[in-house]
Amino acid sequence: MSKRRPYVRPMDGWWKKNPYYVEYMVHEGTALFVAAYAIVLTFGLVRLSQGEAAWNGWLEAMKSPLSIIFHLVLLAAIVYHAFTWFKLFPLTTPPVVLNGKKVEPELIVRGGWAAAIGATVVSFVIVWGLA
Amino acid sequence: MEIYKADVVIVGGGGAGLRAAIAVAESDPSLKIALVSKVYPMRSHTVSAEGGAAGIKRPDDSLDYHFHDTVGGGDWLCEQDVVEYFVEQAPIELTRLEHWGCPWSRTADGHVNVRPFGGMKIQRTWFAADKSGFHILHTLFQTSIQFPSIKRFDEYFCIDLLEEDGRCQGVVAIEMATGEFTMIEGKSVILATGGAGRVFRESTLGGIVTGDGMALAFRHGVALRDMEFMQYHPTCMPITGLLFTEACRGEGGYLVNKDGYRYLQDYGLGPLQDKPKNKYMELGPRDRLSQAFWYEQQKGRTIEHPVLGSVVYLDLRHLGEAYLHERLPLIYEMAETFMGIDPAKEPIPVRPCIHYTMGGIKVDGKCETSLPGLYAIGECASVGIHGANRLGSNSLTELVVFGKVAGDEAAARAKSVAPGNSASLLKQAQAAEERVLALKTKTGGTERVSAIRKEMVRSMEEGCGIYRLEETMQQTCDKLAELRERFKNINLDDKTSVWNTDWLYAIEVDYQLDVAQSVVHSAICRKESRGAHQRLDGPDGAYTRRDDVNFLKHSEAYYVPDGAPRIDYGDVKITKSPPAARVYGAAGEKADQERNASHV
Amino acid sequence: MSEQKIIEIEVLRYLPESDEKPRSEIYKVPFTDDMSVLQGVQYVKDNFDGSLTFRWSCRMAICGSCGMMINGIPKLACETFIRDYYPKRITVEALANFPIEKDMVVDLSGFIEKLEAIQPYIIPKEPRTVEEGEHIQTPAQFAEYIQFTSCINCTLCYAACPQVGLNPDFIGPGALALLHRYNMDSRDGGQTQRMELAASEEGVYNCSAVGYCSEVCPKKVDPGNAVNINKINAAKDYFLRFLSPKGGAK
Repeated sequence: MSKRRPYVRPMDGWWKKNPYYVEYMVHEGTALFVAAYAIVLTFGLVRLSQGEAAWNGWLEAMKSPLSIIFHLVLLAAIVYHAFTWFKLFPLTTPPVVLNGKKVEPELIVRGGWAAAIGATVVSFVIVWGLA
Repeated sequence: MEIYKADVVIVGGGGAGLRAAIAVAESDPSLKIALVSKVYPMRSHTVSAEGGAAGIKRPDDSLDYHFHDTVGGGDWLCEQDVVEYFVEQAPIELTRLEHWGCPWSRTADGHVNVRPFGGMKIQRTWFAADKSGFHILHTLFQTSIQFPSIKRFDEYFCIDLLEEDGRCQGVVAIEMATGEFTMIEGKSVILATGGAGRVFRESTLGGIVTGDGMALAFRHGVALRDMEFMQYHPTCMPITGLLFTEACRGEGGYLVNKDGYRYLQDYGLGPLQDKPKNKYMELGPRDRLSQAFWYEQQKGRTIEHPVLGSVVYLDLRHLGEAYLHERLPLIYEMAETFMGIDPAKEPIPVRPCIHYTMGGIKVDGKCETSLPGLYAIGECASVGIHGANRLGSNSLTELVVFGKVAGDEAAARAKSVAPGNSASLLKQAQAAEERVLALKTKTGGTERVSAIRKEMVRSMEEGCGIYRLEETMQQTCDKLAELRERFKNINLDDKTSVWNTDWLYAIEVDYQLDVAQSVVHSAICRKESRGAHQRLDGPDGAYTRRDDVNFLKHSEAYYVPDGAPRIDYGDVKITKSPPAARVYGAAGEKADQERNASHV
Repeated sequence: MSEQKIIEIEVLRYLPESDEKPRSEIYKVPFTDDMSVLQGVQYVKDNFDGSLTFRWSCRMAICGSCGMMINGIPKLACETFIRDYYPKRITVEALANFPIEKDMVVDLSGFIEKLEAIQPYIIPKEPRTVEEGEHIQTPAQFAEYIQFTSCINCTLCYAACPQVGLNPDFIGPGALALLHRYNMDSRDGGQTQRMELAASEEGVYNCSAVGYCSEVCPKKVDPGNAVNINKINAAKDYFLRFLSPKGGAK
């Protein structure tokens, strides 16, 4: 009879054991804030379809101090999510080869930021242009 | 006891064992192969080989050149018919590795590239950066996975061979995870267990390089041949002994003493060359380079480092960071991690350390030992291609060339002989089990195995260094005899079954003491200087010279239970290269020209 | 001689024949600045307790034997130096996410099975005899796969991957990197066969892009990248199946 008795360590609370895992969990957690903002916008869209009064009501609600605080919290969480998401770019994308050389991971991350900032600026221009 | 019936049993899962297993599987898929290894195959020490594998490649090279380099490099103690076969097969087997996926480094046009190596007249060392052994081993291991007929016994520790009717018919092994015994029957048994360098203190070798297979064959009456020839590699990390590949010099590195002087020009390897030139300066053979270090040390021209001891510098700075990263990435990483040195900015302190066992289990050109059914390959074997000094990059090639030979031979034999008498084999296996269990269960001993090991390795270093003296060799002989006695009085801390490495290390030390004795007793009897065996004594210094009259012979050590080994001698096979002066540098080039002229 | 420095090494011990579960034991080990954590535990085994058990061999970070959790981080003990922790205590534990057999020795059989399952060998694109010589591989073709050949099977990436811990059937980063290595090799034609496994329930989609595997890899193989590239490849295969005239039938 074999005297082997392999011991399997429990996985409870695994994510607290290493700062790397904590960052990962926070990153994953902030995705909920992205979802929350999507719900807010979807709700706005619904109100728009219900006529002008409904739409204006929604706009007023958005201007309340509580809503603004809520949006600031969302903004912070989404920026953090974007930050950690871009950091994962070199991990998740196939290697980019330019002129026969592999592009440095740092450059890929910066590319992500450039695209995000570009998109933000374009959005602002459109919104202000419409206003 | 568990019983497994195989056709071919292979002990050792390094490059040679894996190549043999594949050869058997390819020759006949119906043959059952048991591949027994004390580590997972990819941990085997083949993994640490760095520089590359020799086989002619360039149009300006020839089989004859490779042959003469090898025979001369071995100080004419090679079996020349075997060397001829070896150099012919080398490019074929290295190409086969390419087909199996080995990522050989390439030239810009996509062909396999070759680099210069010590003692080789033309560049012919195939390389995979400076991780050639690693890539060869993983390629072979991964390739072996596709053959269902290869049953691996990973982390099984072999403790004995089974011999019946005058032939070898299997092995007994401990399953390390449980501590239980398994008998593995086979009509052919191939030993591929690697070298024995760990009987020395400062070595480039992994902890597993303990000469297990050599001791097993030795105890069954098979000779260990040319064991006195232990290779000191000239460029190793002090204290740890980790290896800085010869490719450092092949790629253009310099060796300098404390005055920044490239001292090799004083030792018959000059004149000075700026660029690496084959068989000159830093591309001389390993024995000569290690001996030159010893002389520099005697002359007080080495650097005396407070922690590292006597060292010289391996200077790679002129090669530039980018080139070093491309060609020598592992060396770069090792210098940085282990020594805190950036080799592009600082020279690396190095010294010679034990690296390779030229001798081994005596086999013929077909890899068969004197015990029918028992084969040996790779570093544990002495098939006769290294002689008194191995040329760098011949040993990786040896693994695949002779791995294939032994696999084919063992397969043919397995198909022609009848199975053995299982009941009687089992009785033997049980006796072996009892003997080995007793090491663990016995009580009342007072010796620590680690203490015996430490005294053994120190004594071997003192007695069998780069230069040797009768007196110190005799002290080592006496010390080993004493340790053999003291070993009987060991006591283990760990008496359990599961993963008992305390016990396994004790079995290893037991093996090592036998092999160490074969080394020093072979050495003390060879009263001449040849290749890696250099003496400073004899009447009027008679032993400081090569003596072809009395010692153009292989030494053969035979096991004597409870005593010192008996040393005998065997003939050396000479086909087309009669012994000549062994010269390098400008003198070597002149001798080459003269030989060619006389041939025409 | 300068004063002998002493490091405290706390080892998670587990002797299956006497311990119900793992326990800590602290050893005081004299050390010099060149000593690795591996040499530290070797000192303990040689001098204090021969029953301390761990795998090791090459001492130069290429055989892949001596992976351990050192202060909670998967590392090769041979290239981790005591001086970098002194005077703080070093904790040493068996690699995470594997069953412990004894002390630092873990059960690797699951990993080996995964390695075998991914068909880690050249499945020739077209037959070629040795007489025809080597394949030609351009620098660009070579660059496609060479990084992924550097894996030493040390399994640090498995110890770093929580998904491996949560689902032991996940093929895991190292083996999937090897799968990618063969798929990217210009000599190989076995991609279709291997992608079935990559896309399966045990395959790449277990990965949630934690990325710690690539962080701890001692050979910079970046196994996380290999896994994630194959998520894209597996998805491509899936959609292309609907577009191909035979509906993906082979």
